[in-house]
Amino acid sequence: MTRYDLAVIGGGIMGVTAALRAAAGGMRVVVLDRGGVGGEATGVNAGTLSLQIKRVALMPYALRGHEWWRIAGEAVGFHRTGGYTLAFNAREQALLEDRMRLKMEAGAPITFVSPAQVHAAEPALCDRIVAASYCAEDGHADSTRSGVYLRKLLRDAAIDVREHAPVVGVDSRDSGFSVRSATSSIDSTNILIASGAWTKSIAAMLGVVLPIEVRVNTVTVTEKGPMQLHSAIGHATGLLTLKQKDNGTFLIGGGWQGRGSPETGRGEVVAATMLQNLRLARFALPALAGVRAVRAWTGFDSFVPDNYPLAGVLPGVPGAFVLACVRGGYTIGPCIGPLMADLILGRSPELPLFDPARVLKMPAHA
Amino acid sequence: MSAMIDVIILGAGPAGAAAAVEAARRGLKVLLVDEAVAAGGQVYRIAPGIRARDATPEREAGDAIRASLAASRVDARFGHRVWQVERNAASFAVHTVNATGPVTLTARALIVAGGAVERHIPIDGWDRPGVMGLAGATVLLKAQCMLPGRDVVVAGAGPLLLAVAAGIVHGGGRVAAVVDLQPRSRWLRDWRSLASRPDLLARGARWMATLLASRTPMLHGSALRRIEGDPVVSAVVVTRLDAVGAVVADGVERTIACDAVCLGFGLHPATDITRLLGAAHAFDAAHGGWHVVTDEHQSTSIAGLFVCGDAAGIAGAAAAPWSGRVAAVAVDRHLGRVSAAEALSAVTPMVAKRDRAARFGRAMTQVAEGGDGIVLAIAPETPVCLCEQVSRATIDAAVDAGATTLSEVKSATRCGMGPCGGRLCEDAAARLIGLRTGTTRAAVGMATGRPPLRPVALDHLAGEFDYDALPIAQPSPL
Amino acid sequence: MTSADLRIAEGVERGPRVSFRCDGREVEAHEGESLAAALWASGLRADAGERTEGPPFRVLFCAMGVCQQCVVLVDGVRVEACRVPVRAGLDVRTQS
Repeated sequence: MTRYDLAVIGGGIMGVTAALRAAAGGMRVVVLDRGGVGGEATGVNAGTLSLQIKRVALMPYALRGHEWWRIAGEAVGFHRTGGYTLAFNAREQALLEDRMRLKMEAGAPITFVSPAQVHAAEPALCDRIVAASYCAEDGHADSTRSGVYLRKLLRDAAIDVREHAPVVGVDSRDSGFSVRSATSSIDSTNILIASGAWTKSIAAMLGVVLPIEVRVNTVTVTEKGPMQLHSAIGHATGLLTLKQKDNGTFLIGGGWQGRGSPETGRGEVVAATMLQNLRLARFALPALAGVRAVRAWTGFDSFVPDNYPLAGVLPGVPGAFVLACVRGGYTIGPCIGPLMADLILGRSPELPLFDPARVLKMPAHA
Repeated sequence: MSAMIDVIILGAGPAGAAAAVEAARRGLKVLLVDEAVAAGGQVYRIAPGIRARDATPEREAGDAIRASLAASRVDARFGHRVWQVERNAASFAVHTVNATGPVTLTARALIVAGGAVERHIPIDGWDRPGVMGLAGATVLLKAQCMLPGRDVVVAGAGPLLLAVAAGIVHGGGRVAAVVDLQPRSRWLRDWRSLASRPDLLARGARWMATLLASRTPMLHGSALRRIEGDPVVSAVVVTRLDAVGAVVADGVERTIACDAVCLGFGLHPATDITRLLGAAHAFDAAHGGWHVVTDEHQSTSIAGLFVCGDAAGIAGAAAAPWSGRVAAVAVDRHLGRVSAAEALSAVTPMVAKRDRAARFGRAMTQVAEGGDGIVLAIAPETPVCLCEQVSRATIDAAVDAGATTLSEVKSATRCGMGPCGGRLCEDAAARLIGLRTGTTRAAVGMATGRPPLRPVALDHLAGEFDYDALPIAQPSPL
Repeated sequence: MTSADLRIAEGVERGPRVSFRCDGREVEAHEGESLAAALWASGLRADAGERTEGPPFRVLFCAMGVCQQCVVLVDGVRVEACRVPVRAGLDVRTQS
């Protein structure tokens, strides 16, 4: 039986970028996924690559992750369109100004622009904008293409991949772990749990209880229409992302909550919240009035009580690592995945990681 | 404030309408929803103001359904497009839009009578203007009293083939050829089941007689290799199939001139609503493929959700009303308004009639089966997903690069991401994946159901709203 | 209607004759028939231009609001032509 140096449980942006770095560092790596590589959050999110919506403390990570997507380029349909964050009343304006100032201080190349400047660039936006910010680096990628791209990177790096192989058990062994799926077992010296919304249940297999909760984010896509919007649009509250893809479809997101759980594997769109999301989009872009929505779906997004990542050693289990709960993970993944690999390789990561042990003292709400 | 509705029935075809009338007769508070302007579904569809002067059995059956509904206490909501259905703790919410905007309806139970969807197998040129589905041609002939063309090729498989061809001839058009996937003998294989409905068998015989009398060329065991035109259809190229339905290599091809093509390969149950609700489904060719699992009394794996008519498995128009009535009784029982014994006593004769009528419908479904040979023969450049113009070659390449499920092929190629929601391409895409990976159609599975069930304009969804009333007080974390 | 009209003439009653405009062209039809059928009868099969968005346009394929190929703009609203009953004075556009 092949023995691996690292078994990565989870083939999303986190697990795959970590795997690539670990393999480049000389480790023998296998990536396992309950489904297809890049098929969950990585493959179903709205594709927003915006520095403006990244959390202040994570800005350095976001800047580096953003660069990775820019390099991936056409393979994932990356477009650096520039992005505007809008405020439609005084309260939102105050929120926008406070938040963006902090993000600018953290290094994000964001500037404030006037409503007139926004309209000059995006005439189709509504006339109720009272304040706005802009970042030339913002853009979007086609998240549905992530799976194909990540699979190719893994293949090019000759990393073993086991897809459609849900992990049913992880046992500590002498000098390592045994990772079991329904039909086979893998031995590895180290494991990295990068399982997104399933991280809690995988960690539990090793007896570690992590206070992870799961959000069920909704995205809606429209039919194709004439090009009306060129930039990525956000809202002062973070509750709207709106973009028009090259093919003319509009993608509408913002973290509105559907329902469902990783246990059933399936999330469901909740009409009431989806409609609020659509109303916000319609308000921002009146031309959406006659455009037809053709599909809405959900993706899971996990978080811990302080909303910061879990990135480090799995508490109490040497040789086991965890990387999950990264808000804005699609952008940040390509930075923090390799940092985790550096930790696992015994190197010193270039940026600080986020010790999971801190959350053991926090109660989960659930 | 009015009391909660007992049951909402989705679909006013023969099954849904019968379910509604039975439910109302039993004293239930019933809402019947359909996006058409009148009841009848597809099989008894009418257009306002259009009527053939000679009554046909179908027109009469449809009129009887409409009359019975009008005379009942059913609250019928036509012109409502259902876009989302949600199950809550003790009720179902049905989200619709009509001409004025959003309308949400809630009930304690739900009966889905969504009928059937036509199966398509892509053929080189099937995207040309002038090509329509067999089901579409049926609607055009019956409801609009219009011919698809003056010189029409009718091709594919299943009972609609003869119905459409005969309808064209009867309407004064010419059928350039009927091209039937199945060998002539296939019709005879299930003669016992067909004989269970001598009236329908006689109707089929009359269709054949019409076609023979008009000297319509009937090509059995044959398929369209290519549909030609520039760009509107002007001819088809027909090829023979061998005993196992494979395209005969270097076989003789015939070119037949035409001005329209009617194409289809049988019906399969509409599963969009039941997928959305997460009900258990199963694959069974005898029922037309993927279908929601129902028990003897039309119940599904979800409490309070019942499915009747072709949506539960293709069984035909004669079985549909019995199936609907069984579902209505089952709802009555589910709501605790009748005892199990009373329900069983009411339902037993209905079940017997349903099952008897279904024998004919099921046999007809079998007649439309097959096609692996022509699926394999789909040319690489032939579009499989018409909405997104995804060719067979693109799908094959995605499979070769590691995509093994419908969802992965969808992500890699956009197949199924267009506004029709994969309704035209999912079956063919799944068969191509299965054939290329060496798995069965059943193992490839179904795509996940997602709302909206049909495209709806943002304004119709959003309705009137006040920006300041939007719940955006809680921003996302800094 | 001429004898080349695809409408079945014999023994069929239809609504009153009306006309509407499609892409600026006047089309004669009967009130109540489906817009897709009326356009089909008028000889339209697809649009002349290169469609840049949506599935390739065909006047009629499924006739039941499923395939999304017959989507047109009727009085400014995008809708499946097969679901629109014809009435006098409709303004139909096959391109946005």
